[in-house]
Amino acid sequence: MLDSFILGLSSGSTCLITCGMVIFPYLMAGTAGTRKIITDLSFFLLTRFLVYFILATLAFYFGKVIFTSPVFRNYISGILYMLFSGMLIWYAISRSRKPDCPAKIVETVNNRKLVPVLLGVVNSLGFCPALMLILTKSATEGTIIQSYLAFLGFFAGTALYFIPVPIAGKFRKKKVFETIGVMATGLAGIIFMIKGLTSLIGGIIYG
Amino acid sequence: MDEAIKNLTTRKSFGKSLLYTLPMFLLTFILMTGGRPDFSDRSGTIALLTTFLGLNILYFLMHYTGKTDKFRAILFIVFALTLSFTLIKNTIDIRQTMTYSQGDILECNMPFCHLVIPMLILPAAFTQSIIYPGSILGGFASISAMVVLWLAASVTLGRGFCSWGCFYGGWDDGFSRFRKKPVIRKISDSWKWMPFAVLLMVALTSALALAPTYCDWICPFKAVTEFEQVTGIESAAKAGIFISLFGGLVVVLPVLTKKRTQCSYLCPLGAINTLSNKVTPFTVKIDRQSCNECYKCVQVCPMFALTNDDVKNGNVSIFCTKCGKCVDACPTQAIHYGIKGVPANRMVKFSRNLFLFVSFLFIAVFASGSIITVIKSIVNLFI
Repeated sequence: MLDSFILGLSSGSTCLITCGMVIFPYLMAGTAGTRKIITDLSFFLLTRFLVYFILATLAFYFGKVIFTSPVFRNYISGILYMLFSGMLIWYAISRSRKPDCPAKIVETVNNRKLVPVLLGVVNSLGFCPALMLILTKSATEGTIIQSYLAFLGFFAGTALYFIPVPIAGKFRKKKVFETIGVMATGLAGIIFMIKGLTSLIGGIIYG
Repeated sequence: MDEAIKNLTTRKSFGKSLLYTLPMFLLTFILMTGGRPDFSDRSGTIALLTTFLGLNILYFLMHYTGKTDKFRAILFIVFALTLSFTLIKNTIDIRQTMTYSQGDILECNMPFCHLVIPMLILPAAFTQSIIYPGSILGGFASISAMVVLWLAASVTLGRGFCSWGCFYGGWDDGFSRFRKKPVIRKISDSWKWMPFAVLLMVALTSALALAPTYCDWICPFKAVTEFEQVTGIESAAKAGIFISLFGGLVVVLPVLTKKRTQCSYLCPLGAINTLSNKVTPFTVKIDRQSCNECYKCVQVCPMFALTNDDVKNGNVSIFCTKCGKCVDACPTQAIHYGIKGVPANRMVKFSRNLFLFVSFLFIAVFASGSIITVIKSIVNLFI
């Protein structure tokens, strides 16, 4: 759960910078009081929580079908960890990276009440490398509770950044925060790369 | 212009330099002997006098030549080398090996190092406990003594700590001086924010794991001090990381870039010290009127603290470690040590004298112990 939380925290900062500016106007538009903002934000976070709950369940049972032996589990999870963490590192260092948020899709939705829920779904299902890493972790856990905990840690880590969404527009040094966030994401990628490498080597040696 | 430069030069006469060295002479003698000189041990006396004289000669030369960085670097590099030697010697004397085991961790037998400080803050705030397996008050390199010394040095010198107080900075400072010209010149400016990302990661992981994750997994200087016994894949991976980071960030990249890459791109304490530059009274100032925009200061800065825009705006960024390299390189003396609140080109000599006195005292206090230990060990080989 710890490494999931760290991954959520590190990638969440980038998520806030790229998606915050899209989500914020939709949560705030046409509203007057903080009560409405809190309600919309709660719906947004609750939807993300539910989507992650479903993803954790699916990943665990999918993992049970695929990973039939512990050695196979070590090999596959090691390779997947390395692949997705490589993508995460690439995301952090790539200069051609487009800082677009998938949640932009809600621009086409007219129903205001549905917006927070739709934002939650789209934001959770933006299959970024960080989410792929958590899916891999969840699929290789021993019990379904551990699988839920992995997603819970990731959800908690990323959700922390959405709490100050209403004040996100007031950040003075947005570029600096974005740079540090992207670098932290790359570092999280390195942590998972090492995890994948040790898992793979462990599979080879003890297999 | 030449007359103006002559007036600004910080070079002094022999007698005046000697006079400026006198207070340092007395203070270092008191600090190194503890106020009670004991000359009964022959090798100890030779080591003490050699260190004492060496330190004061360097301080004298800073005043006599008006140059700072060259003499600071000699002491800084010697400090880093002798400290690593002392640490290795102590661990080998106690454990007969450079490695430590889980037993040493459980017995809190780990010498404390200032790089751990960023990892202590969050766990100490939330759990009222120190997560590092070292001694809080007694023993070799206690946690409380190190924290107090670091705090004092950081508040006084700001990020100057990284060039005048850090135990390990001398390693990459030394390697950055190997070549006359850099091989890699173009490096993205945004990399200088990396230590903040590392700080964020190690502070959070340490708080959540209640373990000093930087020491456990990242610190490149484990390669030249002590490291975990290799007993499995995880400890082998750690040893591999320590050696790779030391080789890459402390040796290879500084040689190729002529920059202190470990300090600029990795060190989480450097990130905190960068922020402490906001509180220190000392700074480096640029006098726009004397500046001829040759940008030699930008080229020589080992810390990515100066850009062409900074020079044009007359500002030195908060990443500055006050090493003095830019000050020494400036042909028009436009860049100089200063005091906050005092305009550039005012009180230049006073500011430098005051800064040198304080910063040299810190490095003398930090470095003398390990230099004495090494000289004593060498002398003992011959006596």
